[in-house]
Amino acid sequence: MTLIDNSDQQALAETIQKLIADRSPLSKVREVALSDDPYDADVWRRISDLGVPGLAIPEEFGGAGGTWADLLVALRELGTGLVPSPLFASSVLAAGALLASDDAEAKSQWLPKIAEGAAIGALAISETGDATWGSRPSSVTANDGKLSGTKVAVLNGAQADVLVVQASDGLYLVEAGAAGVTVTTEESLDLTRSIATVVLDGAEGRKLAGDADAILDRVTDLANVALAAEQSGAITSCINITTEYANIRYSFGLPIGAYQGVKHKLADAYTEWSLVDASVRSASQALTTESDETPVAAAAARVLSSPAYVRAAKNMMLLHGGIGFTWEHDAHLFYRNAVTGNVLLGGPLFQQDRLADKLGV
Amino acid sequence: MPAEEFRAKALAWLKENARPFSGDDGDYNPTLQESKDFQKKLAEAGLAGITWPKEYGGQGLGEDELIAFNEAAADFLLPVGPFVIGLGMPAPTILELGTEEQKKRHIPKMLTGEEVWCQLFSEPNGGSDVASLQTTATRTESGNWLINGQKVWTSGAQFSDFGAILARTDPTVPRHAGITMFIVDMHHPGVTVRPLVVATGDAPFNEVYFDDVEVPADAVIGEVNAGWPAAVVMLRNERVTIGAKGRSRSAPLGFDALAELAKEIGTNEDSGVRRKLATVYAREMAMAHFGKVLHEGALAGKEIGARGSAAKLAGAEFGLWASDAAEEIVGQDVALLTGKAAKVAKSILAGPGSATAGGSNEIQRNIVAERVLGLPKDPGAADRKTPFNQLKLSK
Repeated sequence: MTLIDNSDQQALAETIQKLIADRSPLSKVREVALSDDPYDADVWRRISDLGVPGLAIPEEFGGAGGTWADLLVALRELGTGLVPSPLFASSVLAAGALLASDDAEAKSQWLPKIAEGAAIGALAISETGDATWGSRPSSVTANDGKLSGTKVAVLNGAQADVLVVQASDGLYLVEAGAAGVTVTTEESLDLTRSIATVVLDGAEGRKLAGDADAILDRVTDLANVALAAEQSGAITSCINITTEYANIRYSFGLPIGAYQGVKHKLADAYTEWSLVDASVRSASQALTTESDETPVAAAAARVLSSPAYVRAAKNMMLLHGGIGFTWEHDAHLFYRNAVTGNVLLGGPLFQQDRLADKLGV
Repeated sequence: MPAEEFRAKALAWLKENARPFSGDDGDYNPTLQESKDFQKKLAEAGLAGITWPKEYGGQGLGEDELIAFNEAAADFLLPVGPFVIGLGMPAPTILELGTEEQKKRHIPKMLTGEEVWCQLFSEPNGGSDVASLQTTATRTESGNWLINGQKVWTSGAQFSDFGAILARTDPTVPRHAGITMFIVDMHHPGVTVRPLVVATGDAPFNEVYFDDVEVPADAVIGEVNAGWPAAVVMLRNERVTIGAKGRSRSAPLGFDALAELAKEIGTNEDSGVRRKLATVYAREMAMAHFGKVLHEGALAGKEIGARGSAAKLAGAEFGLWASDAAEEIVGQDVALLTGKAAKVAKSILAGPGSATAGGSNEIQRNIVAERVLGLPKDPGAADRKTPFNQLKLSK
């Protein structure tokens, strides 16, 4: 086990890079972002055909039986292109919760469909007025399996076939079409993520077997590494796009990249990315080897990646000058994505607290 | 031997022969002789030169074993300070570019601590612009070389037996083209070493004067007038040595020491302190992992190259950032040079020096931007083609 991509992962990365270049360049991402569609169905089908949604799902549940590290490589590459897809919500959050549960029936019912990309899962945890994430008391009540309450910031909630909902006494599976379920897509800062509010009013839920706190703790680890992997990829794009511009844009008779005011910021962004990349790789290794260090490594990766991405995206805008602030430029797509990633799934302070807890400080 | 077996062997030896980090090591101040004795035992135990060829005294093992050793060693205070430069920089350069005779003559003795080495690159008027150096080496009729000039910021010169020195051997060609690297005997009567007192009040560096110091023709490392490529090899090793080292529990600005100190002085329950400590951990670990990524990549055929400068920059920035963090974590005790936080206070004071050693952050940023990202050359590099003796060297 090494920190660098193995040959299968390199091949997967190249395949996804090609898919992005052919089918989902930033011009296409922008088109999708401004449409009513949450993602490009054709691109999602191609991602699914590659087996990506099932990479971390065991073969017995219809997955590819790969490792989390394989899925993280895919997320990293998709992150470079800000490709809108339900992969994170479905294969990381929902499948992660199912895999961590003791619910054989739920696993066999949903994991094969999620692995195929035929069904989409979502995880409903966050509630209004709370910057934390994962295990916490919930205001969603359950009476005889009927759930009532409101969940916010549900990634791909409106596209989900099945929602894993955190209630006061555990986790429940709620099917999207069930009576008493109202899902509303919100207008989101990030044009590449679909975010929903879920209102449950006596909705039918099936309790997921297993320790809800342990499941959510595990999902938080998965979410942290997966988001950090996406962000690591996105940071490379911020650096590459800005570097390209700094080579062709002239001021005072020289490419602006020759000036230290520009090149030093890019060198800093690269160095910071190197640390993010290394910590994602280490967390990915911990996950794959099921090391006891996983929660610490995952939290550490996220503590570094999210703020680093915000800085990289902000600098991308600033180093482009006025053009970087225009609607036509892609910089704001990254900036929106970066800010959103920094506050969703537990904001920066929650992540630092979590890391301190896991370190036993 | 599998890496785990090697780790167990190293750990057993370290437990027997080294002092474990305790968080209270203020009295730990080994003498040069103690260091030499320790290095000799380390080599005899098969724990020095782990990845280096056996024919030169190394162990001929892989990166996994090296990492295993470094991880095991992180929990101990090893008195190996005098050998860090020699083994980290000149030795790998000699292994890469030196003659068979140079390797056989020097590498085994460096590993056993019998020869202490320093690196003589920087000059008073050069700083990070190493290639502007003005120390000269002129050929004598017998084919030997006479070295004259002054070096500065030389760590360990006062107790070094040999140094790797850069000198100008042809001033009529552009500055990078007329430099040669030599092995110089630091005990030669023409060598004068003077301690250089820095901001901390300590004298970790020296000024070194060379006055008609004669070295033989076979003291050249690599080729005559090809000292710059040799220097690049050494600087690359230097950046990796300085930047991407493993995590040490005993580093005063590292997570372990700061967390322990916070607990001792009772600031550890404060949520701001806890968050700061968490971030110290994340950054510190990321640096160690970055070093591993570079090394594992190198083993798989991807040269470290200028990414070593990113590692160096990350390390320097960590030290400076961790100084600020330590002020928040420790609080008022940082104002004192006595008591529990003394080592933290000293490290904060030493931070800017550590950041500058091995090339300023600004130079590392130029290297990363130009050679990793492919941004245009700094306009200041326009004199790369001017013969050295026509260059403007000061106002």
